[in-house]
Amino acid sequence: MDQKNLKFLVIGVLLALVVAIVAVFLASPNPDGLDSTALIASGQKTLTAPATGENISVEAPGHFTYASPMPDYSLGGKWGPMGGIIAMVTGTILVFAIVIGLAWLLKKRKMSKKQIS
Amino acid sequence: MHIPDAFMPIWQGAIYWIIALVFIMLALRWAKNQLTEEKIPVVAVLAAAVFALMSFNLPVSMGTSGHLIGGALVAIVLGSPFAAVFILTLVLIVQGVLFGDGGITTMGANIINMGVIGGFVGYYSFHGFMRVTKNISFSAGPAAWLACFIPAEVCAVEMYFAGTFPLREGLIAMGLYHALIGIIEAVITVLVIHLILRVRPDLIDEKVRQLQAKGVNG
Repeated sequence: MDQKNLKFLVIGVLLALVVAIVAVFLASPNPDGLDSTALIASGQKTLTAPATGENISVEAPGHFTYASPMPDYSLGGKWGPMGGIIAMVTGTILVFAIVIGLAWLLKKRKMSKKQIS
Repeated sequence: MHIPDAFMPIWQGAIYWIIALVFIMLALRWAKNQLTEEKIPVVAVLAAAVFALMSFNLPVSMGTSGHLIGGALVAIVLGSPFAAVFILTLVLIVQGVLFGDGGITTMGANIINMGVIGGFVGYYSFHGFMRVTKNISFSAGPAAWLACFIPAEVCAVEMYFAGTFPLREGLIAMGLYHALIGIIEAVITVLVIHLILRVRPDLIDEKVRQLQAKGVNG
């Protein structure tokens, strides 16, 4: 990789990490568009006013449940904002690493195919 | 608009997963053919940025927040809707599995909404608007807005099929909130495209650069 691309990569990842960390402190605690709509569907919110309850009670019959290791981009109450930072930084770097790894794998497979044919 | 597991019966999630897998296969083929050594770092940086921006909920009034999706941005910059499918799929897998943002059985639907529909609407509406306006900002902005609004309305219909939202209320609420979120999406998309055009114009899709060279204004 040349110097120019390396610079773009480093600055790009640093910018993403800054956004990720700032998000921990500045992100809105309000429900997102889909959750807001769910609160309307269960009668806990009107279209234009904030919700009165927080627990989304709409549920589809026969749905799946899964407990993620870091729900809501945090490590739980006792970690506080530090948990949020750890979660967001982990996620950002993991996405970056997966894309690099997968792209490299795909390229390698293409190269080895070329050699055979 | 990440659909959680609780909002959809498993069998419906499976149907969306099957459709999503077709597009994921096509996106992997795109990646195999298009990702040169030059482009891999750009794709990885955009993916990291999309993850960070997608997890950042911004207030949009009415007791609601919203976050960027980035489907239009990625498709425009990398010059293919499949770039959006590729990146959004990987981001949604990490968000769902690690952070519970979006479900597992509903991940197929989320990939279709944000990656496939967001990417295709963003890419083709951008190039359509470019033909009319000959202006990158006036094309990327509305394209990004549509790439946020249309997936939201599709999501409302899916929620109706799932028995979670009533159709009319769902369409109105999802439409209204994401019309506002879409404005943020439009502004950030235009800003990021201009930022890349300024620092590394060679990384932007060739078709966009050719249009710019023909006297298209920024």
